[in-house]
Formats: sequence, structure tokens, C-alpha cells
Amino acid sequence: MAAAAASRLLRRALTPAVARRRFSTAAVAAETPPSPLPSATGEEDAGMVSMKGVRISGRPLYLDMQATTPVDPRVLDAMLPFYLSRFGNPHSRTHLYGWESESAVEAARASVAALVAADPKEIFFTSGATESNNISVKGLMRFHRARKRHVVTTQTEHKCVLDSCRHLQQEGFEVTYLPVRPDGLVDLDHLADAIRPDTGLVSVMAVNNEIGVVQPLEEIGRLCREKGAVFHTDAAQALGKIPIDVEKMGIGLMSLSGHKIYGPKGVGALYVRRRPRVRIEPQMNGGGQERGIRSGTVPTPLVVGMGAACEIAMKEMDYDSRRISALQERLLNGIRAKLDGVVVNGSLEHRYPGNLNLSFAFVEGESLLMGLKEVAVSSGSACTSASLEPSYVLRALGVDEDMAHTSIRFGIGRFTTEAEIDKAIELTVRQVEKLREMSPLYEMVKEGIDIKSIQWAQH
Amino acid sequence: MALRAEVLSLFRSLLRTAAKFSDYNIREYAKRRVIDGFLDNRGLTDPSSIAAAFADGKSQLEVAKRQAVVYSLYAPRIKSVMEVESP
Repeated sequence: MAAAAASRLLRRALTPAVARRRFSTAAVAAETPPSPLPSATGEEDAGMVSMKGVRISGRPLYLDMQATTPVDPRVLDAMLPFYLSRFGNPHSRTHLYGWESESAVEAARASVAALVAADPKEIFFTSGATESNNISVKGLMRFHRARKRHVVTTQTEHKCVLDSCRHLQQEGFEVTYLPVRPDGLVDLDHLADAIRPDTGLVSVMAVNNEIGVVQPLEEIGRLCREKGAVFHTDAAQALGKIPIDVEKMGIGLMSLSGHKIYGPKGVGALYVRRRPRVRIEPQMNGGGQERGIRSGTVPTPLVVGMGAACEIAMKEMDYDSRRISALQERLLNGIRAKLDGVVVNGSLEHRYPGNLNLSFAFVEGESLLMGLKEVAVSSGSACTSASLEPSYVLRALGVDEDMAHTSIRFGIGRFTTEAEIDKAIELTVRQVEKLREMSPLYEMVKEGIDIKSIQWAQH
Repeated sequence: MALRAEVLSLFRSLLRTAAKFSDYNIREYAKRRVIDGFLDNRGLTDPSSIAAAFADGKSQLEVAKRQAVVYSLYAPRIKSVMEVESP
């Protein structure tokens, strides 16, 4: 009797909680969670994270949405089946795995096309906006190498466009790098003058990744159509954030990125106009996938993720943009209320609200960043790297070197909360005040001395 | 035809599921979006659009339930700085 009771007790003690509560209506399965992930960061002891000599009490609050965005849970939900059971190659034409994969890819293509008012046949999946930019610039010009020898672009383009143009120059093409106005916008008259009869491509990015300015796409498109040049735009930062219509904007080629719209990294798309047909030379040769424009197996899970992200962006664009504009105002006003000498880099009116690039006068950039370790932001200059070169975008705006060094780019996104903005304001203000207190230059300015008029003694 | 009680029950389920997300940002977004979504659709009168919104809500609930589990399986040991209350 006692033995039976003892064995019952033992069995109950040893049965895992899930089996015991077999008839419970608790829906969630993770009663006994498996062991946590192996830690990727340095040491995680007593709730502190220590990496690269920095110790913080928690994961930083993320305000770097232009670098990348977190994957939306709805996107992850759409992608997971294609990593689990529906793992087929979309180009396998003989079995269910291939058929279901292909139909998912085509559905994603339609979602991406719908977001930019294009036809699905005009969308090609690539590995990202960098690849799409490469195909656009090099592919178009190489196809037309006999009659079109000139490219027009701006000085604030993304590195991949500028690098591709430099590559073309080595092949013998001519490239005009247009300067921009101090507010970051391209001057339409200069652009009109720069386009020649042998200009094959005009490349102007829609939303700048560093300063967030939105270029006048409709006017540029109209100009290109009049002059017979193809208009390419890098819309990686613009997709799903500002309305894009390839017809109204006269866009011939467009680069899109997945991981800037809460989708997965490693996927992007290229829009190539069909009427009038834009011809390009493929840069990835192989089995002829994606109508020969980009060979290589189309990564179904990633593409499905991008499609889901575009669908969500279409539904949420208004809600997100209203919220993000309010948050940007809160951030800017909050900082301006407590600090002077704050300059916004780039036009404030023609701007995507989720990108706020600020320069703080009389503060040294690297020390500012070092003190802001609980906020994940990016700096305008490359001062965290070996060279002390300020960002070429800020230089193109005509920003002074000392202001370029102290620039910080705040990226606000769908998942940013008001509490995070308030905390970011608090931390930034505290750090700037601390640095300014230590700064002799600031003391001089407070006394009314004009810094620029000082003759620094040579020793 | 979605009755008021069903809509309220869906609302409560969505909020309960939203609160289960282990990630600070996703959790706050989910709560906020559910409330704003229901507020925006408050004025719907046409039965077909009510039914469509209700069906959409139900499918979002399924997505949320699954993803709450997935996020908790991979939750990092260290929480966000926003959740670690500083003295």
C-alpha cells in the first residue's frame, strides 16, 4: 500500500509538467522551455552584457533603422514553412515541392509589384539592393555600350552605385557626379543641363540612407523621359515608406531591398520597365532563372518574406508614417528643448520622417558615440573606423568637418516606442551636456567669442 | 455575423497573446496595433466589411500565437535596456 503510494508519488514527481496537464486548456506549448541559446555576446553574467570593452545592463534600444530593421513577426510566420516542410526548389518543375515553391515565389512577386504599381513580370528577385544597383548601372550601360556612353548620378548616392560608376569609368564610360544643394536635394536645372544625347542612365536615389532626404522623383522622371534617358532609382530606403508609383515617377529601373522593410536580409528585387522596354545585360550568368536577368536558384523563404513584408507595408504605410512623423517631432523637439547648437543635416520638409541626422556643435563625435552605448545609433562619419574621414554625403552637403564628425543618425521605425524616444533624448542630452561642460571651445562661445575668428598660435 | 461579444473576445485574446511576446518592441507594437486597429474599425457598419475585419483579426490571432511561442524559444538572456529599470 505504502509502496504503491510511494511509486505514485515518484511517478508524479518525474513526469514532466506537460504530460501531467494533458487536459489543460493552456494553449501555449512551451511549458518547459528548452535550454536557452548559447550566448553570442561576450560574457553575460549578472545581467550585464560585455563586448568589445563595453559593459551595458541590457540590450541597447535600437534606433538604427536605416542600417537594418527587425523582421516583423508576421513576415517570419510566412517564411518558416518554407524552411521546414515546403523546402522545394521553385525551378523543379516535376513535383509538388517545386510547384508549391514556385507558386509562393510568384505570389511574393505580385505583392512586391503591387506596392510599386508595377506588373509582376517587371520584378526580378536578387540578393539585395546592392546587387540590383550593380545590375542596373553596369547591366544597362554595357547593353547600350555602342550608342550610350554617359551616366549622370549624384554625389550622395549609395556606395554601390558610386563604385559601379567608377568601374564603368575604367571601362571607358563617362560619369557626371552632380553636386547637391545644402539641403541635400538635387538641382533640377543642373540635372537638365547634365543630361546629354548619349546619356544612357540617370541614377538618383529616392530616399537617402544617411540624411533621409526625399528627392523629387516625379520631376526627375519627367526630365529623363523628355530627354530619352533611363531613370534608375535606388529605392531601398523608400520602399513601403513613401508611396512609389513607377508610372507617375517615370521610373525605368528600381532597386529594392528586403531588410529595410522589416523583411529578411539577403533578398532584394529589381524593377525593370517593360513598356517602353528597358534592356539590360545580366551580371549573373547561369541557368537562366528570372528570365535570364539573374541566374541562380531563387531563395523561396527569403522571397516569401520580402513579399509578406511588402504586403504588410502596403496595409500599414499610413499608420506607420503618421506614428513615425510624430515620434520624429518628439525626438527633435525633445533634444532642441534642452540643447542649443543642434543642426539637422538635410532638408526638414523633403524628408522621410524615420531618418533624423543631427550634428551637435562643440562636441567631439567619437566621445559622443562612446557615451551613447545604451542607444544603438549610427554616426555620420566613419570615425569609429581607422580613418577619420567624415561621411562623403555630409561633405557633399557642405557640412563643416567638425560638424560632420559629431553627426548622429537616429532611425525610427515601426516598432519604436515613445518611451525609447524619451530615453534616447535623455541619454543624448546628458552626454552632450557632459562633453560640452568639458569643452574649452564651448566656454569661449558662451563668452561670446567667435570661434572662426580665432588665430590659433603655432608652436 | 460577428456579434459584439465575439469581437470583444477576439480583442481580449489578441491583447493577451500580445502580452506574451518576450521581445519588448514587438510586445509594445502588438498591444498598440491591436488597440488602434479595433479603434479604427469601431465605426464599421456594413456587415461584409465587419466580417472581413473579424476574419482578418482571427487570422492575425493565429499568427500572433505561433510567433509568441517562437520568440519565447529564442529569447535572449539579457533583456532590453528599456525593461531593465535603472535605479
